[in-house]
Amino acid sequence: MSRLFVEGWMPEYGASVEPDEDLRAAEGSVDVEVEDRQWEPIVGIDDGIPKVAFVDGVRRIDARLLLDEVVGPVPGICGTYAVGAVLWDRVERSSEVVGETVARLAVLTGGNVPVLPPLDYGLSYEGVSVPDDDPAMLVRTVQIAMRRAEADLAEELAQGGYFVVADGPLHEPTETDKIGYIKSHSRMYLPEEQAPIMGQLGAAERTPLFTIGEGRLRRYSWYIRLADRTGGHSWSGIARCEASAGLGADAVARLADRSAAVLPSVASESHIDPRAPQNLVPIAALESDLRHRMGDSGLVLRALRTALGEAA
Amino acid sequence: MSDTVGRVLGSQHTSTREFRVAIGDERYLQLDDLVVVATEVPGKGEVNTYGVVTEVEAVYEGASFESDTFRIAEQGSMPGVAVRSAQVSVTRVDPELWVAPNPGGLVERATGAARDKALYTDEMGRPLPVGLGRDGLPVYVDLDFFDGRKGGHMSVSGISGVATKTSFALFFLRMLTGRSDIVGDAGRNLRVLVFNVKGEDLLWLDKHNKDFSQDDAERWSALGVDPSPFPSVSLWAPPRPRSGDVAVPDTAGRQDVSVFAWTPREFIDEGLLRFLFTDASDTRNQVSFIAERVEAQLRRYAVDVTGVPGGVVLRDPAEGHGSGSLVTPNRGERVIESLSDLSDALEEYIDPIDGEPDQRWTGRVQAGTVSAFMRRFAAAVVRLGHLIRAGESRRIDRSAAQVTVVGIQSLHDLGQRFVVGALLREAFAEKEGSGQRFPLSVVVLDELNKYAPRDGQSPIKDMLIDIAQRGRSLGVLLVGAQQTASRVAPEVLENAALRVTGRLDAAEAERSEYGWMLPSTRARARLLKPGTMVVSQPAIPVPLVVDFPFPPWATRKEEVAEGDDPFEGL
Repeated sequence: MSRLFVEGWMPEYGASVEPDEDLRAAEGSVDVEVEDRQWEPIVGIDDGIPKVAFVDGVRRIDARLLLDEVVGPVPGICGTYAVGAVLWDRVERSSEVVGETVARLAVLTGGNVPVLPPLDYGLSYEGVSVPDDDPAMLVRTVQIAMRRAEADLAEELAQGGYFVVADGPLHEPTETDKIGYIKSHSRMYLPEEQAPIMGQLGAAERTPLFTIGEGRLRRYSWYIRLADRTGGHSWSGIARCEASAGLGADAVARLADRSAAVLPSVASESHIDPRAPQNLVPIAALESDLRHRMGDSGLVLRALRTALGEAA
Repeated sequence: MSDTVGRVLGSQHTSTREFRVAIGDERYLQLDDLVVVATEVPGKGEVNTYGVVTEVEAVYEGASFESDTFRIAEQGSMPGVAVRSAQVSVTRVDPELWVAPNPGGLVERATGAARDKALYTDEMGRPLPVGLGRDGLPVYVDLDFFDGRKGGHMSVSGISGVATKTSFALFFLRMLTGRSDIVGDAGRNLRVLVFNVKGEDLLWLDKHNKDFSQDDAERWSALGVDPSPFPSVSLWAPPRPRSGDVAVPDTAGRQDVSVFAWTPREFIDEGLLRFLFTDASDTRNQVSFIAERVEAQLRRYAVDVTGVPGGVVLRDPAEGHGSGSLVTPNRGERVIESLSDLSDALEEYIDPIDGEPDQRWTGRVQAGTVSAFMRRFAAAVVRLGHLIRAGESRRIDRSAAQVTVVGIQSLHDLGQRFVVGALLREAFAEKEGSGQRFPLSVVVLDELNKYAPRDGQSPIKDMLIDIAQRGRSLGVLLVGAQQTASRVAPEVLENAALRVTGRLDAAEAERSEYGWMLPSTRARARLLKPGTMVVSQPAIPVPLVVDFPFPPWATRKEEVAEGDDPFEGL
């Protein structure tokens, strides 16, 4: 029988794929004629929304696996992700972390389903197989599972009356008060004609809406500036938000106004967070809480090594 | 034992000396609270670790920067939870298996039998209450460590003005005299000698305090003592200087006080002369050498005089006057009725105006030393001359009452040292003579740094060291109080089994003399309020913080309750 091993090198080795960025809009599908107004900065409007939820997830590769098959090695990984939300009650002025879920996946390529022996510390991994042979799909699988868990939690909270700010692109466009929040910008969505607005945008202001994507993935998007530029480049302090196209332009414009006014109040400070101001305070706190809940990486790796070593 | 307060903190190491408790949401722990945690030791069964809370802390979990506080508390934009924890110093592990408590272990408030275990009360032969813990229940000391069985003496430190040292000493005495059920044999005929060195605070020990409240009474009853003034007190004060033949006590507020003095005969027989030379500088020159010699000579020369009780004349023993003989003074012969007379008489032998000093009195010393001796003697005449007077004996009768209060507040420093020296010598000599430990004799002496200073020599210091070292077996117990223990002779401090401090000066608290306190207790010692003391005893490895209740006796004239007026009937 082919045997499963834990690879000797560190789990993070070669894991520098950034799957977040692979959700790209098709070129040319950007429509800037959504809102019937001039292309100039719009001041955000705080409508006093009382309950805001920030949803985020973190993931980690716990170990790299290798299935020793006769035909050749089959790569795999053990990964853990955690998702949760920070509920911000703006009336009570309090925040709490809710809905934390930690899940562990063991993934092998080539249609192999890994079976792990019992592990110490009550750890357990769900065996998942990836049909093709692409090793990049291993991390993707964990990423997709995490995004799905995030989307489920976001949807649940949105239906519970929360204005949901989900970290990253919107995974599941539904017709609820839910926006995706994207911190980094690897490409520009606005056409050349509209692009200069980024230099004019002040703190707590947004651009008019534009659409990206087609069909089911069609969604509204807009840029907001979280903090004054104070000498930075014209993209400093800029975040992009998106909401489902199903909501209609008017409803999204309301969400956009709200986001431009509310989100700057939870922007982080540059002396505290290197990803400031885009890395929002509640999300940073949530991430650190979630990372903590995934358990000590050294202990987890040891448990896997012990179990797979003994299985011989 | 079901009062769970939290769990042993698991994010830090626990040890056999201390551990931390994460406090439950609906619970609290405060300083000095007693806790117990059970630990299952493989193969040995359950071990209980008892401890006392030395610090309580709270922090926002999730806040990593100071400014996060605002994000959590004010804007609420950051999730964070206030967590409270307590630092616990281990007092005891029972059974004695020195293991650290397990992280996550359930911590319970120690009450009832667990409290007794935490404070070792269950092991004390004779637990005497010395105050109340935070829970309002008594905290005990093992009396065996005070009355000489296993240890003796008590040392009380604390800054003045917070009325703690003497108040605590008196409170302790009241416990000692009030709890005969615990004190047992040692309490029979117990005699206490107290010196009142400042104000007239201690001259009202037998009077009710009008500020004494019902709450205070309840606290006293928790200690098992009827809240009443000292039942048996005798008060003594020196005569007022220049009051002539009438002996009027030198007190301001209270007049029904007995006057004490020594006759020249007593002065000579008991060798009190040395206590005129108690300044630390006196031993550096040869003054004390002359004093010893003069003392011996006086004993040989002094002869009683008919018609002058307590007075003497000095005659050469060659003339054949045996001890106890009574003579009629010759014409022109100097009859010594006061210290000033003695000074004049001595001058004729030691430093005559015409002629050489009599070497039988002075030995071979420099003329300057003789002058120094006479100079000091003359100074003593001015300052405490009124304490020596012929006439009926006015010695302090320490057997008249259980507590003898000697007021020396009106005396000059030199006079105070003289009286303290004379009485200590008397008390110690009496016990040395009998060789019996019982009845116990307790001496309360404030400003110990004055009588037994760290540096220098003096006859009183020698005697106090002697009492500290040997008094325990002779039943002479010293309750010494001082502002700063660092200024007191270490021999005296080291022999005190019970160590107590009230509020301390911040710099003083850092000195090695207070090494018996925990760092956290030291830090607190500068903040203690009146009525709160830190007590250390050999039986318990950590010092305990106790409160002692307001006294039912008055400490000032204004506090004396109506109907308890000292002038009543005058």
